[in-house]
Amino acid sequence: MRKFFTLLFKYNTWLLFAAYCSIAVIFIKLQQDDILARIHTGSIEFGAAINEKLTGISSLFTLSSENDRLMQLNSDLLSRVLILETAAVDERNLRKIAADSTFNASGFLMARVVDRKFSDRDNMLVIDAGWRRGIKKDMTVLVPQGLVGRVISVSENYARVMPVIHPDFKVCVVADSSNNMGILSWSGGKEFIAQVEHIPISSTLKVHERMVTSDFSTFSMRGIPVGRVVRITPDNLFYRVDVRLAVDFASLTHVLVAPLKIEPEKSAITGTTPEKQEIP
Amino acid sequence: MQEFGFSHLTLFKVSFDAVTIFLAFIAITTTQKTSMSFGFAAGVLAGLLTGNMGLQMLARTVGSFVASFFQTPKESHATIKQKSRRFYGAVIAAGLCTNAILAIGENPLGLSLAYRFFVFGLLESLFNIILALILNRLFLRKSLVN
Repeated sequence: MRKFFTLLFKYNTWLLFAAYCSIAVIFIKLQQDDILARIHTGSIEFGAAINEKLTGISSLFTLSSENDRLMQLNSDLLSRVLILETAAVDERNLRKIAADSTFNASGFLMARVVDRKFSDRDNMLVIDAGWRRGIKKDMTVLVPQGLVGRVISVSENYARVMPVIHPDFKVCVVADSSNNMGILSWSGGKEFIAQVEHIPISSTLKVHERMVTSDFSTFSMRGIPVGRVVRITPDNLFYRVDVRLAVDFASLTHVLVAPLKIEPEKSAITGTTPEKQEIP
Repeated sequence: MQEFGFSHLTLFKVSFDAVTIFLAFIAITTTQKTSMSFGFAAGVLAGLLTGNMGLQMLARTVGSFVASFFQTPKESHATIKQKSRRFYGAVIAAGLCTNAILAIGENPLGLSLAYRFFVFGLLESLFNIILALILNRLFLRKSLVN
């Protein structure tokens, strides 16, 4: 017993180090736990509030109210343009225009970007709209130029958005002229170039074609511009397509948040049910 | 300061890490156990602000533990130059260890592990050394003398 205590005192520094590392590993394993999720949500709230105050100082000298007014006008015009363009594509392809219950133009929410990180430690946007204003997880975030990303976590007054330029972001896209579908993702490298996969060699996709979100996307409504094809490189069975993104992520100040894409009949037939989100 | 200030001052997508410099200074001026506790507490605070609690706790604890090996004992009669050199060594060692663990745990830019470890790790160490040099000249020298 004495030997044990002697060893304990001799190596107490290493034991303390092991204890701290064990606690850290437990926290890593419990990352998805509810308590930690609430701490995470609280950290979003605190961090975003501070960032908003810091960036708000500069907005005193800018035309922020004029921007808000113009963005409101933009949101009305964008909703009309999206409806008309979607209807024109359907008409061109001789498809019957169905009432799109997933698209509610008047339901767009406007929000301001209060924080943006694009570094080796973090890659996300924070907007000043949370569950209090009706923001929910998986809502689409866009601007009149195109798709920005999707909401991944929400607190009372803020929300974190995973941008299109994130390795984990994927969206189903379709070419507006040739109707070729693929999955768009960003695998690092230049901020304005993303890749589209699963375009077969037999497709008729051409350079400069516009890529928009398709109806197959699980979160995004269809018809939102994503970018334009800049390069098509043939591989074994598929093309490797490079798309120049329509949105300049470095200059984002205001964004629009579209309502959740709810298709109960489609969910029932595919056997998937949407997650119920509890508001804390 | 790190989360709301330095994290926005990026060059080649890498920023200064003031927390590492602070922990390195604590490591060389106090005992190993004290510096580890500071590292653990810094990891908790950083984790609360970033949302990645476990990883930050592990990275900062290991970083401060490694930096504590550069500690100068009070009875060593080391000169100010020797203490400063150990301080810079602690900054580099803590920075590399912290960056290595964070590089393994998260990858927000979709880059390879080797790129994140070698390029970002070396860049961050370089920025930290520059900041450590400035801070040592301006403020920390007096504390090291004492």
